[in-house]
This record gives sequence, structure tokens and C-alpha cells, in this order.
Amino acid sequence: MQFRHEWIEKNAFLLLVLTVVTVAIGGIVEVVPLFTIETTVEHVKGVRPYSPLELAGRNIYVREGCYLCHSQQIRALKDEVERYGHYSLAAESMYDHPFQWGSKRIGPDLSRVGGKYSNDWHYAHLTNPTALVPETLMPRYGFLAQAPLDYQVIERHLAANKVIGVPYTAEDIAHAREDLETQANPQADTAALLARYPKAVEASGNGRVVSEMDALVAYLQVLGTMVDFADTTTEQLQQ
Amino acid sequence: MKDSGEIFVGLMVAALGFAGLVLASGALDDEMYLFGFSLAGFALFFDLMLLKHHYDRVDAARAEVRPMARGAARHD
Amino acid sequence: MTDASITYMAPHQLSTRLAPVYNEAIVRKFTIATMFWGIVAFLVGCTIAAELCWPGLSMGISYLNFGRLRPVHTSAAIFAFGGNALFATSLYVVQRTCRARLFGGAALAEFLFWGYNFFIVMAALSYVMGFSRSQEYSEPPWHVTIFLVIVWVCYAVVFVGTLLRREEPHIYVANWFYLAFILTVAILVLVNNAAVPVSLYSSHAYVAYGGVQNALIQWWYGHNAVGFFLTAAFLGMMYYFIPKQANRPVYSYRLSIVHFWSLIFMYIWAGPHHLHYTSLPDWTQTLGMAFSIMLWMPSWGGMINGLMTLSGAWDKLRTDPALRFSVTAVGFYGMSTFEGPVMSVRDVNALAHYTDWVIGHVHSGALGWVAFISFGAIYYLVPVLWNRTGLYSKKLVAWHYWIATLGIVFYMTSMWVAGIMQGLMWRAYDKFGFLQYSFVESVNAVHPYYIIRLMGGLMFLVGALIMVFNLVMTVRSRTTEEFARTSQDYPDAVMAGE
Repeated sequence: MQFRHEWIEKNAFLLLVLTVVTVAIGGIVEVVPLFTIETTVEHVKGVRPYSPLELAGRNIYVREGCYLCHSQQIRALKDEVERYGHYSLAAESMYDHPFQWGSKRIGPDLSRVGGKYSNDWHYAHLTNPTALVPETLMPRYGFLAQAPLDYQVIERHLAANKVIGVPYTAEDIAHAREDLETQANPQADTAALLARYPKAVEASGNGRVVSEMDALVAYLQVLGTMVDFADTTTEQLQQ
Repeated sequence: MKDSGEIFVGLMVAALGFAGLVLASGALDDEMYLFGFSLAGFALFFDLMLLKHHYDRVDAARAEVRPMARGAARHD
Repeated sequence: MTDASITYMAPHQLSTRLAPVYNEAIVRKFTIATMFWGIVAFLVGCTIAAELCWPGLSMGISYLNFGRLRPVHTSAAIFAFGGNALFATSLYVVQRTCRARLFGGAALAEFLFWGYNFFIVMAALSYVMGFSRSQEYSEPPWHVTIFLVIVWVCYAVVFVGTLLRREEPHIYVANWFYLAFILTVAILVLVNNAAVPVSLYSSHAYVAYGGVQNALIQWWYGHNAVGFFLTAAFLGMMYYFIPKQANRPVYSYRLSIVHFWSLIFMYIWAGPHHLHYTSLPDWTQTLGMAFSIMLWMPSWGGMINGLMTLSGAWDKLRTDPALRFSVTAVGFYGMSTFEGPVMSVRDVNALAHYTDWVIGHVHSGALGWVAFISFGAIYYLVPVLWNRTGLYSKKLVAWHYWIATLGIVFYMTSMWVAGIMQGLMWRAYDKFGFLQYSFVESVNAVHPYYIIRLMGGLMFLVGALIMVFNLVMTVRSRTTEEFARTSQDYPDAVMAGE
């Protein structure tokens, strides 16, 4: 018997099922292999979960919608690599839930902004961007310096990340609050913090109250600094 | 039964409103607090509206029974 | 057996038989909400466009910053304006073309309306308060999304239930598109929103996927929000309202079949073109690009089917300015579905990505296609729903048309220039082999174009305000019965409903 489209048109359930099957194919073919093909994410040394203060800062970054103007993804193009640094590796954002690659550059890419400027520059720039870059379109974020960071349940934030595969240890979670306060306070002893989170940059907090800006700066200062590219060969980066 | 749809929707929204109160009661941040109470308020007003519509219809049906009654027949 | 082309009923043929009592109250409510949210979306859009011209406008207040208002604009445009328009038209069309009253009764329909709009208000508040999930076009926090899913399941129940109780043997083509939209959006939202909340009582949740997987799933979602929310569903609108307005059957039945299945099959694959040259594996990028280019064909199939429906009725464009909106919309649809495949080519994308060209492209689709096809449908619907002989003023419709069209032209051209300029400046080298421009120079260079863009947006807003005035006056005018009793000459009384 010859196929007639009429059969589908006269049967709502058939139309429903066939539609779902049709739209499911593409998604399955593209998405599933990303979880199963092992080379999707390179094996490079140095990428670690965010320290508690960085994670809290990252949440500020997400909250303020920074990704709407700043990308965190250097494409493998000559001019981008020269402007921003080594192209972004999949491994560098493997612990990013959610990812912050962005889709629009109203401001420059931030994936390797860590270490490019001093803490003082960041505090001043966030408070009044026009004072440092007169042509900038960035709004002022001075209110972050006044707002105390809410980290009452920071342990639970780490634990939630652990559930979805970020390798925080039980010890990391137990010390989360202490690590957060240590990183925000320039006077504190950072040995234990740096053992758990190498290359973590201390924020320039006042040592009494941890502000949202302290957290954001700690996050910005670690962006793109985890992988040591001098120590990484091209073969390792091959996907 | 004619009103089964209404009863089902009314109960579902009431359950949502209750869930909203639970969320607001333990809220860890402003957003959850606001959402929980808003949901409860939404449920309250929605169910009151359903009740009002129901009795409006009852009244209209009663009006239709009397031959001289005018208007009030349109409801959907 | 009967020939398919004979049994295939165009909507204007359906109305000849006696119709059941439809639930039009809910369609009226969604129509009002559409216009309300449309104005909000355009207003917030103009606000953030102005902030990009003069960043001091946000005055350092967190709630007014670009980063917090931008999701309000996109959600208001897509989900509030577009969503309410789709609810209004789909619930109208499914009843008419099935000759059946809505499944689930008035209460469930009321829940769809109040529930969906409650979701929108809650989502907008969450962005302004700083609880966005930061996944573009999918920003609502987890608990708000769960509420949306409940509303959406009810929507699917109402829609499919109505299809099942239809009196017509065939399911009309517009309903295929609406059905594909409802189902696919459900799948997209469920997969993309998988997350682990910090606590049941916390608004904060961590997205279940990380990095590259998150990126692909997000853009699989993001591109199909365009493909199914903003395209397939509005094609459903096109397939009902253009034949209605032109009073002609759909041009080709066969084309609509081919175009439907190929469109929904191919759209799903196109997402990775948002991630060219990134750390997404190359094979995925290439696959996304290939399907994006192929997608050009079904898209234009739809455009041809819409435009050719007017063959033999082109003169109506002169007398019916509302039809002009619908037809221009299809034109813009054709244009942006050509521009899209071009931009998905890797080498073009290398220039276009991250620039304002993308913003221009999106708006030619959003303003030219989505908004215009909705305007056309609403201009048609309001006199029908409120039982009026015609619109208050056709002249005002024409004014709206020209102001809005000119606004889109300003918007698109300024964004083309700005985007291509940004792309070229970022990759320009001087004679010594150094990058020629610092980033901030590109920011400075686009300033005049941002002002032109704002002007375009303001014109679009003014057009929409004219429309609101016109619709309000229409509703306040005499009903068809009063009109027949009292007057013989009413200049604009042409589009008498059924």
C-alpha cells in the first residue's frame, strides 16, 4: 500500500509521535557523543575546581550578567590569540557550571584576564570604569564593594558542585568557609588555602567583612591562569 | 461531571499555593521568599476567581430559567 | 479514495458550516497581554539600547544595569510578547480549524493565561533582583522553570485534547506547526534546565552540565528556541492568518508537508554554529554548519508557500494594511533565513561572531518576522474577537506599518555597519604586523551606529503605541449589531470577521 500523508494528518497521536522522533534525532546525534568521546576535553595539568571565594565571585559574575558583554572563549584565530592569549581549551571550563563563554563582545574577552591587572586596578575599575577607561560602556559596580558577601551556605554550594562532578573533596567542603575568609583577607596565612587551591589570588579585602567585590576580584584574577602553557605540548591539546 | 475540570484546576493551584508557602517559610534568599509568597497569593486569587466564575454561572443559569430575565448568558 | 488536495480544507472553507461556541474569552485575554508585553519589551529594549549609548544612564543602580535588564528585554520580547501571541493564536486556530471547543474547560484555559503571565512576572523579577541562571533565553531560576513546566504541560493537554475531539477529519497544517512547537519547547526546556539546587529553599542551582557540554546543550536549546518558538510556531500563525486575510487557500499542500518535516528535522542540528572556532570539537561545528546551510531550503519553502498564497489576491495589499504586515513579515522571514545560513559558514562567522551583526540579524527576525506576523494576526483578530465590523482606522495601521518598517531598516543597517566594522577592526593589522586597534577603539567607533539603532528601536515602539491606540479605539467602537442598526457608512468597515 502506498504511503499517504493523510494518515498522519488524521491521527493526532501519530503526528505527535512522529514529530517527537523527528526532532529527537539531531539532538541525540550531536549531544550524546560529547559525553562519551573521551577526547572532547583535553587532559591538561593545572585545571582545578574554584576556591570557595572564587566560586562565590563567579556567582556574582553570573548574577550581574557580565557574560552579556564579555566573552570567556578565545577562538582559535590569529588575531584573537594575539589580542587575548592562547586559545581557550575545553579543559579550562570543565568545572564551569554554568559555562560563561558568552556570545557578544561589547567589552573585551575575559578568559585570560587573571593576573593582567592588579587587584587595586580591578577595585578601582569596577567602582568607576570611566575613570580608568574614558570611552567604556561599562556601568559602575561600586555597590558590590558595599554589599557583604552572603556565604552562609558556601559548603552546600561546594557540595552541589560535587554532585554534578566537580571533584571537591570532603576536606575541601569542610574547610570551605575558612578558605573563603582566608582568601579575602590579605593578612591571613594562605598556606592551607594554596595547598588546596594552587594559584589562588588573595583579594584585597579589609579583613573584617568579605564584600561581593572581594569575591568577584578573586574570581577575575584566576581566570585563564590555571593551565601552564609553557608546560603543555601541542599533542596534549589535540582533541 | 461538568465541573470536574474546574475542581481539578482549583485543587492543583491550591497545591501550588501551599508549595509556595513552604518555599517561603524556609527561604534562604530574597528571591525564594518573594516567589513563595507570590505563588501563594497567585493561588489564592486564582481560586477565588474560579469560585466567583462558578457562582456567576449559577446566577446566570437561574436568570435564564425565568423567561423575562435578560442578558447575562454569555460566559466562556 | 479522495484526492488529498480536495479533502484538504483551507480555513476559509471551514467557516461555511455551523460552528460550536468557542472559548474566545481566553483568546481576548492573551491578545491584550500580547500588546501589553510587546510595549514592555520594546520599552526595555530602547532603555538598554540607550544605556549602550550613554552608560551613565544606569546611575550605578544595580537593578538598572545592562546586565540585569538585558534578559528582561529578551524574555519580554520572546516569551512574553511572542509567547502570549502564540497562546492567543494557537488557541484560536485550534478551535476554529478543529471545530471544537477547547479541551479541559474554561478553568484550565484561565490557568494557562494567569499561570503563564505569572511566570513571566516572576522571571522578570528574578533577573532584576539578580537571580538569573545566565543561560541565554533560559535565564529563569530553577523553581520558576518548574512552574513554567507545569503551565506548559497544561498547554499541551489543552492543545492535544482539542485536536483529539476535533470534528474535522484532517488536522490543519497550522496545527502541525503549533504542535511541533509545544512538544519541542517542552523537550528543550527540560533538558537544558537540568540543575542541582544548593538547597530546596535556595534560588541558586548549578547547571548539571559543565563547560563544553553545557555550551552545546545551551546552544542546542538557544537555536531551537529560535527554531521552534520563534519560527515553527509563527509559521503556524502564517498558515492560518494569511489565507484568512487574503481569502485564498494555502498555495501548495505538498510544499507544506515537505517544508514542515524538513524544517523540524533540520533545525535541531543547527545549534553548534553558535560555537565556531571554540573549544567545541570540530566535527560538531561542521555538522552544525552543514545543517544550517541546508536549512535555507525548508525556510524558503515556507516563505514561498506564504507569499504565493496571495497569488490572485495581491491587490488586497493596497486595501488592507493589516495584510501588508503579514506579507512583509514573510519577506523579512525569507531575508533573515538567508542571512542566517550565510552567517553560519565558518569563515563568515569568524568575522560576525561576537559582533553587533548578530544583534542585527536577530532583530530582523524578531522585529521583521515575529512582531510583524503577530501584528498582522492581531489586527485581524481584534475586530473578530470583540465583534466589531472593522478596525477603528486603517490609516493608523498604515502609519504604524511605515514607521515600524523604517525603524527596522534603521536598526538592521546600523547593526550591519557596526558589526562588520567591529569584526574588521578586531582583526586589522598595521604595516608592522601588530594589531592595529585596541579594543576600546572599536567601542568608540560604533557609538554613532548605536544611536541610530536606538532611533530605529524608538520608531518601532512608537508604531506599536499607535497600534495600541487603534486597537483600544476599535474595542470602544460600536459592535457589529449596533453598527448595522445605526449606520450605513463606516469608512473602515471591511474586515468583517468570519
